[in-house]
Amino acid sequence: MIEKTLNQSRRLSLWLVWIGGSLIVCSAFLVTVEVFLRKFFNISIGGADELSGYAFGVATSLGLAYALHERAHIRVDALYLVLPKSLQILTNIFGITLLIGFAGIISWMAWGLVNDTLEFGSRSITPMRTPLAIPQLPWLFGWLFFVLISAVILITALVRLLSGDLQGFDRLVGIKSIEDQIEDESTL
Amino acid sequence: MLTKTLAILIGLIALAVPIAATLGWLGLSLQYLESPMPLHRALGDIVWQTGTDFLLVAIPMFVLLGEILLRAGITERMYDGIVKWLGWLPGGLMHSNIGSSALFAATSGSSIATAATIGTVAIPQIKKRGYNESLFLGTIAAGGTLGILIPPSINLILYGLLTETSVPELYLAGFLPGFLLAILFMGTVIVLCLLNPKWGGQKLNATWRERIVALPSLIPPLGIFIVVVGSIYAGLATPTEAASLGVVAAMALAAANGTLTLSMMRAAIEGTMRTTSMIMLIIVAAVFLNFVLSVIGLTQALADFVTGLGWAPMQTMIMIIVVLVLIGCFMETLSMLLTTAPLITPIVVALGFDPVWFGILLMVLLETALITPPIGINLYVVQGIRGRGEMLDVMKGAAPFVLTMFAMIVLLLIFPDIALWMPSLFY
Repeated sequence: MIEKTLNQSRRLSLWLVWIGGSLIVCSAFLVTVEVFLRKFFNISIGGADELSGYAFGVATSLGLAYALHERAHIRVDALYLVLPKSLQILTNIFGITLLIGFAGIISWMAWGLVNDTLEFGSRSITPMRTPLAIPQLPWLFGWLFFVLISAVILITALVRLLSGDLQGFDRLVGIKSIEDQIEDESTL
Repeated sequence: MLTKTLAILIGLIALAVPIAATLGWLGLSLQYLESPMPLHRALGDIVWQTGTDFLLVAIPMFVLLGEILLRAGITERMYDGIVKWLGWLPGGLMHSNIGSSALFAATSGSSIATAATIGTVAIPQIKKRGYNESLFLGTIAAGGTLGILIPPSINLILYGLLTETSVPELYLAGFLPGFLLAILFMGTVIVLCLLNPKWGGQKLNATWRERIVALPSLIPPLGIFIVVVGSIYAGLATPTEAASLGVVAAMALAAANGTLTLSMMRAAIEGTMRTTSMIMLIIVAAVFLNFVLSVIGLTQALADFVTGLGWAPMQTMIMIIVVLVLIGCFMETLSMLLTTAPLITPIVVALGFDPVWFGILLMVLLETALITPPIGINLYVVQGIRGRGEMLDVMKGAAPFVLTMFAMIVLLLIFPDIALWMPSLFY
């Protein structure tokens, strides 16, 4: 049951990454067009910087869950590597719990920010006067999704641990070995 | 206050807590311990403002640029092309390792990706041409570090963000030291191979005709480099705009090579978002911590404490360098940059040093961190790709280059203009 949820969450987070990444690629083209128009035709369409900033913020928050699935978060393993297995397991649980906690506090504060935006109908203080709710709602969604997915990952990891599947536990919340990292970098 | 901060910081790092959570919780606990104000309420705003900052849009752009180039199939031909130009030097292919790393690092910006890509192409050549294996591996590990210093470097953007230093100015400053260090690496190989001719393996003499024919294979990476760095230096574009131009240029290049496919872009996007989201979580935590540290006055207290010691500025600087080299033996570069830059830069500035110059010095120190044991990520990457033998071989081979980096640091201390001359022409 929980394993199924985990797989689904992984697929969903991949979709979010593709959406977010496409936003980044679009921004690259938008900014390029703006630079060319400005330099060669002296026309400024304006707003490319603002829009790509929003695209970046949304894409980043949508990618958080996938990054956690991929165990991309940097941890310093100088001491970890010499710890006995049982203590490694404890630090793994401790680490992801602190990560969830921090993300939870950010999401809570982000919720408050978006709430204010909606209540006051805030707009950006730029010529575009963007209604901030438009970029902020998907941004908030990314953070909430991240907290939810990290909880699913932690629970699945604990279930695996209790059923004695230590390798499965490590694949979810352990530190990535250097071999795994090279594989990431060279999947061409 | 200082002791508590360091205790929490070192404790969390030692327990292998993810760096983002380490910095975040350090900020939250310092607020709880030292500040009457609920500083965490600023988090929503900090995360939104930092997360949509146009300067930082450069990060996913540069990562995407590197991911596309990695998959565009240009590395092998570039390597062969550089062999034609540098292979005649004592040490043969080892110069090609350094040269291609410098060029590839300049465009991709990731040290691991650089060492992994060049390593895959180069390592099979060791046996074939009779090189000293250790030194050969060392050149790959060391060459891969150049990406941090040679613009466009993501690390310089992060330094600029945390210390409020101009990124274009940092990019100008990094140019000369970056290429000087590459040349010093090659000089190291030449000296070692002249002392021990056996280490040098087979030289590769190419005719001028072959060299000219090989030039087109160097055009793609050089072209991207010129588009990106040139547009910044010429004042045509900001770093973020230049990075976007680079992404579009890299896609055009891949299209010309016939490698621009949907599955390639999907893989590039996945890699980009994985890295970007991970970096941004650390950055928002670091910016929040920076904010807490300045509100509770810790940054100032630390600077006062160090200036109060009454040491000469140069003496203090040398102490700082020693401490950073030691930290670099145990910490990975990104975490090291984000934890040390906000704390140490104010001290350095209070002592009268130039923050742009210190940024460059810090980058060289981060480069040493990549190849100093026990935790030097490039050593592990090279050993991982090699897939046989002892880790110690790579460490031994990288050791001469650690000394070269120290020499570079001394040069920067004696002649700060190596870093500051180019910015002084523009600013």
